[in-house]
Amino acid sequence: MNDDILVGGHISRQFDQELDEIRSRVLKMGGLVEAQLDKTLDALRSGDSSGITDVEKLDRKVNKLEMQIDEECTQILAKRQPAAGDLRMIIATTKSVRDLERIGDEAERVAHMVRHVLDNGAAPKSYSGLLALGEEVKELLHDTLNTYARMETRSAVKNMRKDQDVDDEYARVLMHLIEFMKTDPDHIAGALDVMWAARSLERIGDHCINICENVIYLVEGEDVRHTKLSRIKKQLS
Amino acid sequence: MNDKATRLAQTLKRRHAAERRFQWYGRLSVAFGVACVLFLFTDIISKGYGAFTQTYIDIEVTFDYETLGLTPDSTETDVKAASFNSLFRNTVRAQYPEVTDRRKQRTLYGLYTTDAPIMLRDMVLRDPSVLGTTQQLTIVADDDIDTYYKHSFGQDLGEGGVIGRVNPQQIALVQQLHDQGRIHKKFNTILFTNGDSRDPELAGIKGAIIGSLLTLLVTLMLSFPIAVATAIYLEEFAPKNRLTEFIEVNINNLAAVPSVIFGLLGLAIFINFFGLPRSVPLVGGLVLTLMTLPTIIISSRASIKAVPPSIREAALGMGASKVQMVMHHVLPLAMPGMLTGTIIGMAQALGETAPLLMIGMVAFIVETPAAITDAATVLPVQIYLWADSPERAFVEKTSAAIMILLAFLIFMNSTAVWLRKRLERRW
Amino acid sequence: MAENSKQTMNDTYETTGIPLLKDSKLSVRNVDVFYGDKQAIFDVNLDIGKNQVISMIGPSGCGKSTFLRCLNRMNDTIDICNVTGEIKLEDQNIYDRSIDVVELRARVGMVFQKPNPFPKSIYENVAYGARIHGLTDNKLELDELVESSLKRCGLWKEVKERLLEPATGLSGGQQQRLCIARAIAVNPEVILMDEPCSALDPIATATVEELIHELSQNFTICIVTHSMQQAARVSQRTAYFHLGKLIEVNDTSVVFTNPKHQLTEEYITGRIG
Repeated sequence: MNDDILVGGHISRQFDQELDEIRSRVLKMGGLVEAQLDKTLDALRSGDSSGITDVEKLDRKVNKLEMQIDEECTQILAKRQPAAGDLRMIIATTKSVRDLERIGDEAERVAHMVRHVLDNGAAPKSYSGLLALGEEVKELLHDTLNTYARMETRSAVKNMRKDQDVDDEYARVLMHLIEFMKTDPDHIAGALDVMWAARSLERIGDHCINICENVIYLVEGEDVRHTKLSRIKKQLS
Repeated sequence: MNDKATRLAQTLKRRHAAERRFQWYGRLSVAFGVACVLFLFTDIISKGYGAFTQTYIDIEVTFDYETLGLTPDSTETDVKAASFNSLFRNTVRAQYPEVTDRRKQRTLYGLYTTDAPIMLRDMVLRDPSVLGTTQQLTIVADDDIDTYYKHSFGQDLGEGGVIGRVNPQQIALVQQLHDQGRIHKKFNTILFTNGDSRDPELAGIKGAIIGSLLTLLVTLMLSFPIAVATAIYLEEFAPKNRLTEFIEVNINNLAAVPSVIFGLLGLAIFINFFGLPRSVPLVGGLVLTLMTLPTIIISSRASIKAVPPSIREAALGMGASKVQMVMHHVLPLAMPGMLTGTIIGMAQALGETAPLLMIGMVAFIVETPAAITDAATVLPVQIYLWADSPERAFVEKTSAAIMILLAFLIFMNSTAVWLRKRLERRW
Repeated sequence: MAENSKQTMNDTYETTGIPLLKDSKLSVRNVDVFYGDKQAIFDVNLDIGKNQVISMIGPSGCGKSTFLRCLNRMNDTIDICNVTGEIKLEDQNIYDRSIDVVELRARVGMVFQKPNPFPKSIYENVAYGARIHGLTDNKLELDELVESSLKRCGLWKEVKERLLEPATGLSGGQQQRLCIARAIAVNPEVILMDEPCSALDPIATATVEELIHELSQNFTICIVTHSMQQAARVSQRTAYFHLGKLIEVNDTSVVFTNPKHQLTEEYITGRIG
């Protein structure tokens, strides 16, 4: 799909600019959220919790951006009465921004867990699976942001499939943790932290999928929420 | 920037100067127009106002049987044959017993209108009981005396300055009558109650007015319906093709044809071909109809065109047929414009002379016409005839007739304006 | 995938969406309209459902008004206009010789762009249709008809005190509602509206739109509008015309959120005017 058809080409150049601005803000917000997750995973990987404060700082920026983008969307709704593609763009954006902000929150939550885990000197074994899950989620987030930037439905569907892998990975992590808790009941508290972190990572994956669904809605006008992947593929082909 | 400002200032000066110049041109044109109209009006009014008064001379007449050669048993035929001339002359002579010279006696009779004996006879015919009695009468003065008394009497003008053909004897007589209080001026009803006459003091424009009204009536009855029907057909019903275009162009051309051509046309068709009588209002009306048709058609079409198409659409959209649309909506809205055009056309017809000369309406007609087939004359032709007459008194009569014609025209045009204001509806 | 779902315009074309219905009030088949040599409408096929509001949108000069005027043969008044094809009003071809335009227009009423009340009284305006079609027998019936028509248009309360005053003294919105009252007084089956609100202020527009909504329960309404928001608000179906072709017909909800044709999308998002 040509980008210009989605944001450019209006008779009102100003409208084009406004839409373009919103889109670049969303991408910027995506970058910030991605950085949050990156820093969290870095801390986890290196066992150094000093980068966690950056995650919190980033979260404040993300929150601010969310409010800004929402305000701009409200203004466009009020002034331009967008229709069709433009309307879907605004709707999808407000929804996606909410998801991005949630992703930021989840990343921060993971960061807090990580700090807690590191500070308490938990057994690295308990969170080895977490790192793998995190990497997978990070990749999914990255792909999702690309999907959004390029407005590609094909990669959106691909991302949805990837989320199933994330879910599988999450299930594995849970299994591991349950095993771990059974064998090492002394570290149940730490394991629970890890479990919460894993859960948050899984939630990030879900938010990514929401964004992908929004992209499909934006481009195709089809609402694919609560629809099985096979049905979605059929609908889009 | 500075350069721009100075340039602007320069051009601005020029532009303002041009504007002022233009305004002055306009003012001068308007002033010239107003001056012309004022000049025309003052000229006409100053010449013509005199015609609205008439000089009368009081005289005591004894309708004595003997002089008239009548008896109380005389019939109307006898009265008609009686010598009222002698009666009148005797009466006048009796008042000036010192005048014995025949020529001077003739001057005495000449103080009065030449029709004075006939007036006496008519009086007896109207009321035979005056016979044998003495009546105090007021008789119209002769036109020369009238002109002199109205314009020069009482002023020491010398021989050359006197208006009217009067000799010293007449001046002395008028002075004498004046001293006796027997000569006086009154409002000239004769002007409005008499037809044309060779004698200016007896000439009136009643015949011409009635003639004009009858002619206009014929014109109106014919041209209005024909023009309105033509306009409606051409605007609303006719297909837009070459034929209708050709007709349109020709209607516009007809409006520009000199009116005398219509007179020739009328002469050829109505009088020579159809054998209608000459100089009658019917033929005059027919000719003027031909002349005013294009004017009325053009103004009617313009006012039909001015009816907004939205009204037509509304009517058609409601399911009105085309005729209903025209009759219910277009015509009522276009009517003020049509009437205005018609009145202007009528005013044009009222002032028209040339085509009427062609069909013989220039004849000298004394009788007031009673029907559209009676010989008649019309106001502008009457003016033309009087302007051509040698008698000095006809000068002021001419101006008076012009004033009356102008009054009619102004009245008709104000009616047009009033109608437009009154009937005009906003949509 | 995305590219395929949006069609572009070719010389022979097919209307996108759902132009035809199972049962319809008006059905238009293969209609071409010519102004002299110039073709204004190309092969339009469209069904208009009973008691539905359908709106026609499209850029200026796209033929939507011309098409609307075919539906009650208002184009007949233009000499050079020639309509071919078939337009059926309940199984009767309105271009059939046996159909009298006067009768047709009593069945298919029309409301115009500029409020155009007759320069007569309010009463006479509403009564006019009934008078020329002879719909009422006596003055009482006519009075009732005028009252009920005005009531249906929500105008009765505003004008009942001044029925005999000139209609031109009403405000623009009132005039337009009067024109609608005048149209429904002859109880037509279909009402055509040619940009009925384009000369009105937003408040008057809202009242007329509300009226259209109420009337749609009893009348089939076709409305041509320049305001896409208006089309979105008042109609159940929307037809998009472009250069004389009927590009897309769909449920209004679809057209305004997810139009299927590229041109429709471009028009309603303000990319072509």
